[in-house]
Amino acid sequence: MANPSSSDRAPAAAPARPDDPFALLGLTPSYDVDLAALERAFFERSKAAHPDRVAAAPAAERVAALSRSRALNDAYQLIKKPVSRAEYLLERAGVTIGANERLDPAFLMEILELREELAEARVAGNVARVEQLQRAMQARRADALGALSGLFAAGDHAAIKHRLIVLRYIHRYLEECDAALDEE
Amino acid sequence: MQIAEPGQSKVKEACKQRVVGIDLGTTNSLVAHVADASPEVIGGSRAPGVGTPTASPAGRGSSPVGSTSDEGGPLVPSVVHYAADGVLIGRPAQARAADAPRDTIASVKRLIGRGLKDLGGVRAMLPYELEGDDRAVRILLTSGRLVSPVEVSAEILRELRARAEAALGGPIEGAVITVPAYFDDAQRQATRDAGRIAGLEVMRLLAEPTAAALAYGLDRGSTGTYAVFDLGGGTFDISILKLVDGVFEVKATGGDSAFGGDDLDRALARSMIGDALEAAERRTIGGAVAEARRVKEALSDLAVDRVAFALEAPRPELVCGDGDGVTHRVLVVGHDAVTTICDRRLAGRAADVAAAATPVTCVRCLGNGSVFRRSVTRAHLAGVVRPMLDRHTRKACLRALKDAELGKADLDGVILVGGSTRSPVVRDYVRELFEREPLCDLDPEQVVALGAAVQADVLAGGQHNVTLLDVVPLSLGIEMMGGVVEKLIHRNTTIPTGATQVFTTYADNQTGFDIHVVQGERETADACRSLARFVLRGVPPMMAGMGRVEITFLIDADGLLKVMAKELTTGKEASIVVKPSYGLTDEEVERMLLESFEHA
Repeated sequence: MANPSSSDRAPAAAPARPDDPFALLGLTPSYDVDLAALERAFFERSKAAHPDRVAAAPAAERVAALSRSRALNDAYQLIKKPVSRAEYLLERAGVTIGANERLDPAFLMEILELREELAEARVAGNVARVEQLQRAMQARRADALGALSGLFAAGDHAAIKHRLIVLRYIHRYLEECDAALDEE
Repeated sequence: MQIAEPGQSKVKEACKQRVVGIDLGTTNSLVAHVADASPEVIGGSRAPGVGTPTASPAGRGSSPVGSTSDEGGPLVPSVVHYAADGVLIGRPAQARAADAPRDTIASVKRLIGRGLKDLGGVRAMLPYELEGDDRAVRILLTSGRLVSPVEVSAEILRELRARAEAALGGPIEGAVITVPAYFDDAQRQATRDAGRIAGLEVMRLLAEPTAAALAYGLDRGSTGTYAVFDLGGGTFDISILKLVDGVFEVKATGGDSAFGGDDLDRALARSMIGDALEAAERRTIGGAVAEARRVKEALSDLAVDRVAFALEAPRPELVCGDGDGVTHRVLVVGHDAVTTICDRRLAGRAADVAAAATPVTCVRCLGNGSVFRRSVTRAHLAGVVRPMLDRHTRKACLRALKDAELGKADLDGVILVGGSTRSPVVRDYVRELFEREPLCDLDPEQVVALGAAVQADVLAGGQHNVTLLDVVPLSLGIEMMGGVVEKLIHRNTTIPTGATQVFTTYADNQTGFDIHVVQGERETADACRSLARFVLRGVPPMMAGMGRVEITFLIDADGLLKVMAKELTTGKEASIVVKPSYGLTDEEVERMLLESFEHA
C-alpha cells in the first residue's frame, strides 16, 4: 500500500514520486502554499474520490476509492502542516533527516534545562508556569517556521535541515506541555 | 465553487433503497428517512422536523404503526421493560419504571461496551442491578435472567425498525446508527452488534454531532465553520466542522462519553435532598432523579423561574425527634408521594436539620395534614449545573478549537444538539463559553436522526451532493516496552487514513513480537482502551534492536482499523482487522441473532 506519510523514506533525489502529494492535489511543489487553494483542491478531489460515493458499487471500485481517498487525506495533512511539508520538500530535494542527527550542544543543553523546568512545574502542578513555558516555546516555533520560507527561497538545504531538527525538539516539548495541561 | 456532476444530480427513485437513519439515544431514540431529497422523522402524530409529513405514500401522521408504543410523537424513550410474558419498549416500558424498577432498563447507552470499572458513579444511580467484570456488564432481572446492554439496545432498535417498516411499507435494507463522537471502538462495536441483533444492516456508525451538522448544512445551505455542542442524556460531544459546497469536513472532535443530562439531574437531586440520595434504595433514587429531571425541564420554560412542590404527606405519622443523630431528609418521589429515610442513621447531621433555612424535613416529622413545600429556582439550578459544565465540557471545547487550529472568533456559529441543551442554563453557558448566541432553530432532539438519514441516503447511492470527511476521535497506537504508548494515528486525523512506523526488537533472540493496539490520549497503555493483541511469530533470533518490524495502521471510511506487522529482514507478516471485544463473544452475538429471528 502506497503511503506518503511513511517514515520509511527513500533518500533518492527523484523529481516526483508517483504518489507525490502535491501532484495528487494538482499543486506545484512549494513551501509557500496558498492554504485556501490547498483546501479547495482537497475538497474538490475528495468529492469525486470518497468511498461513500461508491458504497453500493462493486468491491474493486470501492477498494480503488478507498486507497485514492486515503492518499488524498494523507497528502492534504502532509502539505497542510508546515513541518511535514518542509520535511517532504527537503526529502524530495535529496536531503534526509535521520533519527540521530547532531545538533549544536548549546541548544541541546538549553532544551534539556527547559525540559527539567517543565517536569518540575508539572510535578508541582504549577499550571501558570507550564503555560508560560508553553508560550515561550510556541514563540520559538513560530520563529523557526517563519524562517523556513526564506531558506527555501534561497535553497539553503543545510539550514532548513537544521531548523527542522530543532523543530522536532520543539514539537516534542510542546507535546509534553499539552500532556501536562491535560492532566489538570 | 460548483462542481458539475453529469448524470448524478437526480435521485433515481425507482432503484432507491429503503434505508434509515437512527439516533439511538441515552434518553430517547428515533428513526428518520429521506423522502424527496429532504430528511424527515418517522412516526408519531406530531412531526415537527424539517420535512413535512405529507409526502410519503405510507399512511403516516396518525399513528398507523403496528407497534405498541407509537404515541406521543416520534421519540421513543430508550426504555425496555422485561415482563414475565414479554418485552415492552418505549412509553409502555417507561410506565412500568416506578413499580418494577429492576426490570425496567433506562439509560442503557451508558453501559454499552463498558466494564464495571468504566462506570464509576453511574452504577449507583441506576435503579437496576448490575453484574459483570472489567470488560462487560450484565443487568440482573428479578427473574434471575441476565441481559446484556447490547440485547437491551437491540430491543430499542428493533422497535424503531418496526416503526420504520410500517411507515415505509417494507423491509429496511440498511441503517446508519449514530453514536457519540467520543465513543471508543469497544462502544462502537457493541452498538454495531446491537444493530445486527435487531436485524439491521448497519451501513455506518456516524458521530452524532456530525449527523447534526449534516442536517443543519443541508437545511440552511450553509457554508462556514461551525461548532456543534451536543449534550445528550449520558454523553457530551463537541465537534468543529467546515461546510463548503456539500463537503462536510470534521476538523476536530472531543468530549466526555460519560457525562450528560443524567448527571445534571442527579446533581440537582442531590442538591435537593442531600445525602439521602446515597442512603436511599435504588428505586427511590430513580424516582428522585426523575423528579429532578422534571424540575429541570420545567425550568426550561423561560416564563418559569421557580418550580415548587406542594406535597401532602401520604401517611402522616408521629413526629420523631431530631436530637439523636438521625438525619431527616425528604426524598421527593413523583408528584404525590413522599418517602422518608429518617429511620436511617447518618452521623452528625442532625444539626443541619435544625439550622437549615429551607425546609428540610421528613414525612414522619410532618404534623397531621401538613404539607411539604420546597422550591427550586433557576438560579439554584444554574448553581448546580454550571460547575459541572465547567468541569466536563469547557476543556474539551477549547481543546477541539485548538486541534482545529481555530479561535472562537473564527466560528460562524455554534449549533446546539441534544435534549439537555433545551435548558436555558446550558444555553447561557454555551453562549458565554463561545461568546456568541448559539443556534437551535432545528429541533435539537431530532436533528441527529435527520442527519443520519441523509448519510444513509448517501451510502445507498441516493444523494450526491454530500461528502462527509470524518475523523478518528481518539488516537490509535501500540504499547511499547515499559507500557508507554506510541501513537501511529493521532486523534482528529481525517479518514480513511494510514500510517507506518518501524519498531525494533527489545530483547536478544526475541522470536515473537507482541503487538498491543490501544486507543486513547493517555501516555500509558493501561490508561487507554485496549483494542486488540496479536503476535508476529517466526522472527529469526537476533541481537536486541536488530530485528525491525514495520507496523501499518489502515483505517477505512467506516472507521474500521486494520493492523499489519511485517518483519523487514525476513518479510514475515501478520495482520488483523481490529474488532474490539467488549465482553460478548462472537458466539453470544450469533446466539442473540438467532433468537431474534425466532422473535420476529
